[in-house]
Amino acid sequence: MRLPLHLNNKLLEIEKLSVQFKTDSGAIEALRPISFTVLEGEILGVVGESGSGKSVTNLALMGLLPANAQITAQKVVFNKNPLNLNSQKDLRAIRGSQIAMIFQDPMTALNPSLTVGYQMIETLRCHFDISKKVAEHRSLALLKRVGISNPEARLKSYPFELSGGMSQRVMIAMAISCHPKLLIADEPTTALDVTIQKQILDLLLDLQKENKMSMIFVSHDLALIKKYAHRVQVMYAGEIVEGGNTEEVIKTPRHPYTFGLLKARPSAHEGKMKEPLYAIPGVVPSLRERPSGCQFHPRCFRATELCKKQAPLLTTAARNFACHHPLEIL
Amino acid sequence: MKDFFSELLKDIKKNKGAFAGLLLILIFILLAIFAPLLSVYAPDQVIEGALRLPPNSHFQNYYFIFGTDDIGRDLFTRLLYGSRISLLVGLSVVVLAASLGTSLGLISGYFGGWTDRIISRAMDFIMALPSVLFAIVIVAVLGPGLMNAIVAVSIVALPNFVRLIRAQVLAEKNKQYVQAAQLYGASHLRILFKEILPNCMAPLIVQGSLGFSDGILNCAALGFLGLGAQAPTPEWGTMLSDARSFLESSPWMVNLPGLCILTVVLSFNLLGDGLRDALDPRLKNRS
Amino acid sequence: MSLLKVKNLKKSYVTKNLFFGAKKEEPVLKGISFELEENQILGVVGESGCGKSTLAKVLTRLEEASGGEIIFNGKDLRSFSSKEFPHQIQMVFQDPFQSLNPRKKAWEIIADPILVTENISTSEAKQRALAMMQKVGLLTETSERYPHQFSGGQRQRLGIARALMLRPKLLILDEPVSALDVSIQAQVLNLLLDLQKEFHLSMIFISHDLSVVKHISDKTLVLYFGEIVEMGPSTQIFSEPQHQYTQKLLESAP
Repeated sequence: MRLPLHLNNKLLEIEKLSVQFKTDSGAIEALRPISFTVLEGEILGVVGESGSGKSVTNLALMGLLPANAQITAQKVVFNKNPLNLNSQKDLRAIRGSQIAMIFQDPMTALNPSLTVGYQMIETLRCHFDISKKVAEHRSLALLKRVGISNPEARLKSYPFELSGGMSQRVMIAMAISCHPKLLIADEPTTALDVTIQKQILDLLLDLQKENKMSMIFVSHDLALIKKYAHRVQVMYAGEIVEGGNTEEVIKTPRHPYTFGLLKARPSAHEGKMKEPLYAIPGVVPSLRERPSGCQFHPRCFRATELCKKQAPLLTTAARNFACHHPLEIL
Repeated sequence: MKDFFSELLKDIKKNKGAFAGLLLILIFILLAIFAPLLSVYAPDQVIEGALRLPPNSHFQNYYFIFGTDDIGRDLFTRLLYGSRISLLVGLSVVVLAASLGTSLGLISGYFGGWTDRIISRAMDFIMALPSVLFAIVIVAVLGPGLMNAIVAVSIVALPNFVRLIRAQVLAEKNKQYVQAAQLYGASHLRILFKEILPNCMAPLIVQGSLGFSDGILNCAALGFLGLGAQAPTPEWGTMLSDARSFLESSPWMVNLPGLCILTVVLSFNLLGDGLRDALDPRLKNRS
Repeated sequence: MSLLKVKNLKKSYVTKNLFFGAKKEEPVLKGISFELEENQILGVVGESGCGKSTLAKVLTRLEEASGGEIIFNGKDLRSFSSKEFPHQIQMVFQDPFQSLNPRKKAWEIIADPILVTENISTSEAKQRALAMMQKVGLLTETSERYPHQFSGGQRQRLGIARALMLRPKLLILDEPVSALDVSIQAQVLNLLLDLQKEFHLSMIFISHDLSVVKHISDKTLVLYFGEIVEMGPSTQIFSEPQHQYTQKLLESAP
């Protein structure tokens, strides 16, 4: 997807954000200093496998990391105001109202012993000074907007009476209820079936355009990112290894890891059958035993001595990558 | 398994209460083993004329650090030998109740259906009666004595083990590794003891430690009621009961056995709680 | 002759109302029929609740069918003795965490099937387990490790090794790669294709992921609420889907 050209105001600007977890057996570097921006009205796709730091980044923004996490950042600016990620007071002021989040597993994100209506109305009344009646009206409108049929009955339902797709719709309705400027969707459809997945993502895309929200869309599936994100950022072992406009990154990946991710995934629409897939050898490194130099070098087919010794820096252009031996543009 | 125990010890060392409990238990075990070396008297040796002497008293050329009882036996010696009995009682109760309870729990959880219903209802029956009362009934049928008391207390302790293991089995048996074992033709016995049981060890160890203290306490209670160990066995509960008529005139005769019971039971409870914290993954990952 | 012939297979679960004891029958498989040739990979596609996992359970005899016939290798599936059956059909499970006993070492997990079925010494079983570890691409040095010390992909390799120890004719894989990272998925899929050739395996590959099924299977079967809505060679199904539901599935796939 191409980003509308008139949009270039920065909504979120992060410089050198890093997260460490203190554990009994030493500190774990979950996020190495990363910098990125989210523009107003854009969808930023974040791709990465387990341990890549994509969820940690989002949880840090929401102030939802466990107590043993140490967050350091040189500069965080949200909506032109500086934001201290270590201050729960700062974060509480924007959480829900300005930055909202939807999670991977909608079934566990709702309280199982309260009705959907109660949870929605309470959320609304938490942020707005409105009566119960008004809140109920708004909830109904929201449920209708996210495509839930018979919303009156659904308000009285308990979460277990909803299917996975419906729960995720409810979560989306709650997330957009305060008109947030930024919506973080962390693998919002991984737990859902393909047909539901498409419906949910199309809905998110509509809402994003309608409300002129920015969105951070996290997924492990580049095929989804390709369809739904303006820009993409590839993460590996707590670092950003490549970024740029989605089309460019997918057409001409420069980092061997991005290349591998694209090649490793078979497609339902094209490609030959039964031929060996290109597989990235080895496994994602443990954050406790990080390799030296470039984090990807033990699995990389282009690695040299230089990669073992020295970590490559992320280039500074808008189309950036961190590799000593980037793939050529064909 | 080796890693398992060294890891466990590390966790317990971090928990002060549990570590203190473990140390006290070790001290009691050493006292029990070396009882004959630590005392010059025999537990049933009567010293003529040395009746109800208070702690730290001299009588002729004898010395009694904890005093004597109403017929002139050294209290320290009797308490020492009493720790042997109490620890053995605790151990027998745990071994009896845990082995029988684990087997019943495994069968009940794994096979379900009628076997499960019968076993579960029997356990409900035992739990519906006050435990000491039920133990008294059993001893009344079997006849008083230390052995019968142990049997009675084990039966009372049974439901704890059965219910614990049953719940664990219900959770484990639906996991796919059990299905895989069924698929390659492993027998029920093999699945129960080689696949499922090793995964029940953590809660079993915790319950074992707590069961130790329950067993000691209940046996002491039976002894106090005259249904457990019979005189002149130096059992703490029995000693307490024999001394109760002298509570006002010679309080040490009551206080010291009582204190021993308290310390041992408390130690095992502390250790059990510590083990639970160390072994329960839900509690372990809190930060 | 086909290896597996399923005719009008039905399975329903009976649920009992907690208070009134009223029984309710819920059909999960509503009479499905298909055939599988030797050395063939059959992909089973469908969304949650379509009955694909139930199909796996019935075919592995973990659950009994409520109706219909399953002919395996010319014989009724139920007629295999409990000694013979493990050598016919084995299964690889979805969850690489739950499908391995956390208290057993890697080699013990792999060796257990032959220790159970054959009268051999532990050391011999271990030797054969180590050989199998190599075949599925695991280092034999890791044989003394416990499952939690392996990564997701390696654990799935352990599960595959265990399933192959008894040299089954048919391997059923229930969502074997859906819990794995993308870069690891490809490794496991390649391994499965290699092993299929080496062991002359037939496979039933169950997945909700169309792209994976398309890549690996010769023949594909689309399940929708317990019924087969479309079946045929994978090339055909994925290029010219006939049924509306299949078309919708393909459209939704990214």
